[in-house]
Amino acid sequence: KTKFPTARIKRIMQADEEVGKVAQQTPIAVGKALELFMVQLVSRSAEVAREKNSKRVSAQMLKQVVESDEQWDFLRDIVARV
Amino acid sequence: MSDHEFGGNDDLSLPKATVQKIVSEILPSSAGIAFSKEARDVLIECCVEFITLVSSEANDISEKDSKKTIACDHITKALDRLGFGEYVPAVMEAAAEHKEVQKGREKKANKFEQSGMTLEELERLQQEQFAAAAARHT
Repeated sequence: KTKFPTARIKRIMQADEEVGKVAQQTPIAVGKALELFMVQLVSRSAEVAREKNSKRVSAQMLKQVVESDEQWDFLRDIVARV
Repeated sequence: MSDHEFGGNDDLSLPKATVQKIVSEILPSSAGIAFSKEARDVLIECCVEFITLVSSEANDISEKDSKKTIACDHITKALDRLGFGEYVPAVMEAAAEHKEVQKGREKKANKFEQSGMTLEELERLQQEQFAAAAARHT
């Protein structure tokens, strides 16, 4: 099964100036969490596509999913551009 | 607040091909549903934002813990606080598995130390093995 590159994850984490050292295991943990996050976001978006009888998941559909759940408020700025 | 451009800088983004692969692993091929390019790019931005969110929270937690290094514990606490507590069991399992793999790797690296031979002895052994191999090939 495909996994996210841990070196890249670590780099993204450390792009935040406040973030200092990161333990070796930590990007692995973050990668796993990211995987689960993606499963939810992707599945729900696909559901919207199915409901609309489309074979393509559009950015609008992603936006709809994000706006439908408080848990994903942190993504609103990103989808606002869609 | 970070200022990400649409499409993102490669270094602070995730590889498109990897994300695409993961998306197809999540979606059943029977449904024939695919992500548009734009949707995939937005998805990548969301992923990066997720990492940033969790890191920031975990960083705060590690500071309050008087630790200079962000550890797995801080990540799981952060996930809990951010409303992603359901991810914690799987995350802990992944970290534990990785620890086991790491231990195995370190064991191999220590083979030299554990061989009980000095560097000279090992070099001599190597020379003998080279000579024997050369002899086999003439």
